[in-house]
This record gives sequence, C-alpha cells and structure tokens, in this order.
Amino acid sequence: MPPKQILVIDDENDIQEVARLSLQLTENWIVMSANSGAAGALLALSEEPDAILLDVMMPDMDGPSTLRVLQQQGATIPVIFLTAKVQPADRQKFMQLGVRGIISKPFDPLTLGQQIRAMLAWE
Amino acid sequence: MRSTWTHSIRGKLTAITMLTSAAAMLLACALFVAQHVVDERAELDMQLQSFGRLIAAQSEAALTFGDRKAAEEALSALRANPSFLAGRIYTDRGVPFATYRNGTGVAVPAVPRTADGIIRRDGLVEVFLPITRDGERIGTVCIASGMKDQRDRLKSDIQSMALILLVCLLAAFILSWRLQRSISGPVVELARVADLVSRNKSFSVRAVHTAGHGDDEIDNLMIGFNSMLAELEQRDQKLVTYQTQLEMTVAQRTTQLTLANEELLVAKNAAENVAAINAQLARQSALILNSATDGILGINLGNEATFINPAAVRMLGMTLDDFRGTTIHATIHHSHPDGKMFPEEECANTLAMRRGQPVANADDTFWRGDGTNFPVEYSSTPMLDEDGNHLGAVVVFRDVTERRAIEKLKSEFVSTVSHELRTPLTSIRGALGLLSSGLLGTVAEKGQRMLEIAVANTDRLVRLINDILDIERVESGKVELTRGRIDAQTVVNLAREGLQSMADQEGIRIVVEPVAGTLWGDSDRVIQTLTNLIGNAIKFSPRNTTVTLSGTAGATEFTFRVADQGRGVPEEKLASIFQRFSQVDASDSRTKGGSGLGLAICQSIVTAHGGRIWAEKNEPAGSCFQFTIPLAVPSVETAAIESIDQAPIEEQDSTAQSVLVVEDDVDLARVMIAALEGHGIRTFHATTGAEAIHLTRLHAPSLIVLDLCLPDTDGFAVVSSLRQSEPLGHIPLLVYSALDVGSADQLRLCLGPTEFLTKSRGNMGDFESRVLSLLATVTKKDHRHAA
Repeated sequence: MPPKQILVIDDENDIQEVARLSLQLTENWIVMSANSGAAGALLALSEEPDAILLDVMMPDMDGPSTLRVLQQQGATIPVIFLTAKVQPADRQKFMQLGVRGIISKPFDPLTLGQQIRAMLAWE
Repeated sequence: MRSTWTHSIRGKLTAITMLTSAAAMLLACALFVAQHVVDERAELDMQLQSFGRLIAAQSEAALTFGDRKAAEEALSALRANPSFLAGRIYTDRGVPFATYRNGTGVAVPAVPRTADGIIRRDGLVEVFLPITRDGERIGTVCIASGMKDQRDRLKSDIQSMALILLVCLLAAFILSWRLQRSISGPVVELARVADLVSRNKSFSVRAVHTAGHGDDEIDNLMIGFNSMLAELEQRDQKLVTYQTQLEMTVAQRTTQLTLANEELLVAKNAAENVAAINAQLARQSALILNSATDGILGINLGNEATFINPAAVRMLGMTLDDFRGTTIHATIHHSHPDGKMFPEEECANTLAMRRGQPVANADDTFWRGDGTNFPVEYSSTPMLDEDGNHLGAVVVFRDVTERRAIEKLKSEFVSTVSHELRTPLTSIRGALGLLSSGLLGTVAEKGQRMLEIAVANTDRLVRLINDILDIERVESGKVELTRGRIDAQTVVNLAREGLQSMADQEGIRIVVEPVAGTLWGDSDRVIQTLTNLIGNAIKFSPRNTTVTLSGTAGATEFTFRVADQGRGVPEEKLASIFQRFSQVDASDSRTKGGSGLGLAICQSIVTAHGGRIWAEKNEPAGSCFQFTIPLAVPSVETAAIESIDQAPIEEQDSTAQSVLVVEDDVDLARVMIAALEGHGIRTFHATTGAEAIHLTRLHAPSLIVLDLCLPDTDGFAVVSSLRQSEPLGHIPLLVYSALDVGSADQLRLCLGPTEFLTKSRGNMGDFESRVLSLLATVTKKDHRHAA
C-alpha cells in the first residue's frame, strides 16, 4: 500500500513545517504544503492528495472559502480544519460546511497523525 | 336796609301780594274806562242820527220847494246841543242848500260824501243822512259834532278811579303785611337756626315753633328740621365716641405695628442671608450644570425641552430654540441608527418618560441638528414637586462614540492577540513536542526535563489565552448565547460524564442528586459553567471525598449547587473569588493547572444569562458554589450571520496578456486568478455584469472568462452589450458556467473566438488549458496583424 499523501495549507510556514515533520516522523506520510487558500486549492485539484489539513484563518482566502471552491470544483478530498478558533459555535458552523474534523491549534505533534486517522477512519 | 327788605322772605311775600292786587285793580279800572268810552260814543252816534233824521224830515218840504229859510230853521234845532258844532243840507246834486254854524269855526264839507253814515276825523264826528220824498232821494243832511264833553267826562272818571285804586292798594298792603307773617315767621326762624348751626358748629339749637299749630308743609318742615338736628346731634356724639375709640385702637395698633416692624426687620435680615445662600446655591447649581460634561436636558410633560446645558448644546449642535414647538423625540430621537423613521408612539422610552417612569438606556442613538447621529447612553429621571406631582423629567446623556470605539478596539485586540499568540505557540508547541518525543534523536536527561517543562508551560499558556478569549467574548456580548430549552438533569449528567475520568484519577466520588426543571439558556455554556465548578471542586478536594451536584427550581430561576468537602474558601475571599486571576492560594495556578480565569468565566456566562453566582461555606467542611439560570420562557434569539469580506484584486504587470474574470463567486474567482497568474497572465475581476462591461471598456482585455449567472444581469446581456462596440465585439470569450449551454444559446453568446466550459464537470487544469489555447489564438492573430 503506497504511503498516504497529505496536503497542509497554512499561511504560517513554521506551522507547515512542524506539521510536515510531525506527520512524516510519526506516520511516514508524504506531506505537501501550500501557504494560501488559492495555491492550496490549485495544488489539491492537480495532485489530488488523500486528505487536506486546512488552516481556517488565512488572509484573502480563508479555510471555509477554500473548502467551498474545492467542493464546487467537484473535489471529494476529505478536509480537516486546523484552527485557532476554539468557540463551540465556530466548531458547529465548520462541521456544517462538510469538513471531516477539526483539530485545534496548538496541536500535539505526537498525536496529530492519530487524530487525523481517527477522523478519516484510516487504519 | 333795602337789600334786607327786598331779599327777605317778608318783603318778597308783601311785594308778591301788592303786585298781584295792583295788577288786578289796574286791569279792572282799564276795562271800566274802556267800557265807558264805548258807551259814550254809541250815545253820541245815536243822538247824531236822531237829530239827522229829524232835520231830514223837517227839511223835506223846504228842499222840495227850495225854501232855504225853512231849511235853516230846521237846522237851528241843533242849538239844543252845544256839542253839535255845525250842520248843512245839500241838494240832490250835492250843492249846499242851508248851513248852521255854532260859532266855533268848525265847518262841514262843501260836498257830501258819497256814502251815508258816520265818519270820524280831526276830533270831529260827522254823520251823513239822505233826505227822501216818496222814497226818492232829494238831498243829503250832514251834522258835525265835537268830542269835548266826552273827554271831560273820561278825565273825571279816571281821576276818581285813581283815587279808589290808591285806597284799595293801601288796604291790600296792610292786610298782606299782617298775613305774610304766618309763612315767613317759621322760615325766618329756620334760617336763623341754620345760621346758628353753621356758625357755631353745634347741633344743640332748635327752631322755635311759634306760628299756628297747623299741619301744613311749613310745620312739617319745622318738625323735620328739628328732628334732623336731633339726629345730627346724636350722630355727632356717636362720632365723637367712635373717634375716641379709634384713637385708642390706632394707638394700640401702632404699638403692635412697631413690634411687628421690629420682628420684620429681624426676619428681613435672616431672609437676606437665606437669599444670599440661595443665590450662591443657584450659582453653584448653574456652575455644576454648565460645567457637567454630560448632556442635561430638562423636559416638561409635553416632552418638550425646557432646559439644556452647554454640554448638551455642544453634543447636539442645537440650542433651546431648536427644540421649541416640538418634542425631544422628534428632535433628537426621530430615527433609528439605520436612518429608518422612529415614530414617537413606538418609542417605549418616550412613553415611559411621559408616564413619569425612570428610564435608562445604555445603547441608543441621538441625532444632531446637522443630521448626523451618535451613540448615547442616557437616563431619564422624573421630576416631581413637593406634593409628588409629575412635572417632567431630566435626561442626562453621554456621547459613547469613543467608548464604543474603545470597546470595539479592545475586543478586536483581544481576539487578534489571542489568534496571533496562538499561531507562534502552535509552532513552539509542535517543535517542543517533536523534540521531547525523541523522534528527532535523543536528548540528554536534563535537556529532556527542560523540554517537558517547556511543553507543560506552553500548554498552560495556551489555556490562559483560551480563557482570556473566552471571557472577553462572553463579556463583550460578541458570542450570542444560543438559548433554548434545557433540561436541568441532562446538563448535570453531561457535565458529570465529562469529568468522571478526572474524578476517578483524583479519587473523588461525584454524587448527582435528581434535579427537575426546564431552563432557558445556552446548554453548552451552562455545561461549561458546571464543568468549571466541578473541575475546581475535584482539584481542591482531598482524595476519597465527595462532590455533590444538586439543584432546585424556584419561581423564575433554577439554582445549581456544586458542593465539595475540600479545604473550602476563606470567608474573606468568598466575594472576591470570582474576580479574574483571583485564587485562594497564589501557588494554585501552578500546582492545579488553572488559569485563574475559570470562575470569572463562570460569572460572565451566568451574568449573560441574567443569573447570579456565589460561593458559600459548606457545612461541616468545604465550599458550596451556586448559580442561577432563568427557567424557560418563550423567546426567540436570532443568530448573527458572519459575512466574508472581499479583498480587492491587485493590479498586475501591464505588459502581460490580460484576462477579465467575470465571476460573482469571489473565492472561485481567486482560484481562477491564482491559476492564471501562475502563467504570468494579468487578470481583472468583475463580480457584476455592469462591472464587466466597465472593465472591458477600460482595459480591453485579451480574453474574457464569463459566468452566466450574475447578480445584476446574465452573461447574455453582457455579450450583447459588448457586441455593440466594434473593437470589443471581437474579444475571445470563455463561457465558464455551471449551466450546460445549448447550441442556440451558444450562438447568442459568441463574441470573438468563443469556447464553452461547464463548471461542475471541469477542473482547474481544463480551465487553464482552455484559457491558454484561446490566448494563443489571439497572440497568433496579433502577430499576423503585426506582420
């Protein structure tokens, strides 16, 4: 079975790097990254990764907007939000957009892969 | 003497009597004489005529026969009366026939008068009579008589009359003199008494009633005069008595007045002091009102402004004159902040003010004279007089523009800071986590310990930031409570379940007593509050103790209780424990892992629900935290909808090929633009048909990517509009729509070289390649044109 491909979209390069390292080290996944919603959406449409870890608060095009564009483009890639918004109301709203899960920032790098697998029901 | 006489009543009465008598007698005498004269004349006339006829008869024959002698004899009969002075007989032709003269020289006329009868002239009386025979006139006889006899008799008559008159007048005078006394006597007496009264100013004299004891007007006058005098005398005496009394009273009153005056003087001095104090107070009041930074408006029962202080004038840009003839609602409260009219009858605050109820509003809008508005906080207090009558109200208001701005800034700041802090923390936490995990290689034991400390404190910092953000959002009202009906038992159970593992870890038993009640609130927030309280109870209780959850429903609210058997809260900290960063023991935040904001968050949540929270001592040990949440009442809360802001598209390099993206979905447009810019293509973006046409004219792009469904119009209208214009009508077009476009419609949508791509089936790769191929045709064409 080939390793999973994960796309991390976050405007913070440090966070991209931590997430990439974390997932590579703990799960051995192939991690791509993009630092804006638009770039991420283009990459997702062209590379079709197995899952997308999407930051919510980004300049210009935020997580929900990126998700909507992907949905409109017919992409069926599962999306997990990575967010600093921790309010229950926000969580509820995000879940209604059709994301597969929400991971709050800061995340634990050791359990990040586990959380993603649990949300996507991966073995 | 003459004046006394003529002016006295006696003289007047005598004179009246005398004059009356003399006049009567003179009249009588005159009438008598006149009668006498008439009688005398008649007798003379008769004598003349008798003699005339006699002579005429005697001279008839003489005349007939012309016997003058006989005629003269007949005339001589006239001698018998010496008064007859002359006589003559005329013939029928008027010629004197015979004449008689008395010797006095008096002559009768030479010719007879034409008419017979008696003629009086020159003191003579002449009579002419006809002489007839057998009825035929044969002549005329004339006799003249003097009037001396008669005059003599008249003279003697008048003399005797005068004598009689004199005698009579004398008698009348004597009688009247005697008789007038009966009238004049009392009058004179009255005059005398009146004179005495006026001269002596005394009413004690009386008129003496000497004359008869009759009952005539004079007597009555006398009696009346005396009784009048008596009465006047009596009045005079009374007057004197009154005067005496009056003088006494006046003296008495004067004394009283003097006393009162003295008292008044004292009072006046006191009043002047009070007035001075009042004036000072008024000055102070005015100073306070004028220097108050809050706007103050006095309004009457008609809701009209009656007073305005300088701060209000400054804030509203209006003076009291601007308020005249209109209500304050119509002047400064006439519209909602969005500009919609706000009729006075819909304004609950105005109605309450009119009813005399106090009103406070922390979030309202006032309008200035120039039509702008500002947010205000105001309170209206009813004005009552001493008797409790409602006179109007005093409205005190404050411009809260600045405060609102600061609140907004603070809220944004906290939100931004939380996010901005969390972002680097994510990297730090992640990096530390990876380091401490050993995945990146082993670290020395001490280094490992340090990494663990760093991880634990990063976690603590994250909790702190979460809590700060949480409390800020609840307090600023930014997070609307999503209220609904909550079952008390359900929330208690959920909170307990969430903490069961922690309790097990700490060796604490959680006991849930059965509770019953339906609340009105945000269940997540109520659970959060319970969780915080239970978590605290677990943290601060020794092992093998019990935390008890219970609750009771009151009339309008439900009270939750979380009781523990821990060390309890010292009495003096019970009230302050809900303040931020307030902990019973300063070391707790480290050992127990709390942020110090848990109870403050609980308080914010409970307050936002309209409830209360407090702590009590739990007997025999530990503490009991309680809070109330209102019981369910039907109400609807609408959730705010978050809007996604649209950032403007930046201008790109002008030398590149350009594409106009007409797409109302801003995010899709962003992805399309990102794809195009990846190929170095300059892009413009329009969200509406009008904007598309405008940008096409402005930039004449190399290609237009057109969505068919636009907010203001559709793609067909944009195409037909562009076709009108020659150079623009040939721009290549990519119709990129969610709709499948039929062949008939495809014709209508042709501009320059046109292609169609359906959104739902396409992907970005298709889109990019289509755009690039269309642009390539343009480039070729351009090159051809250039060649």
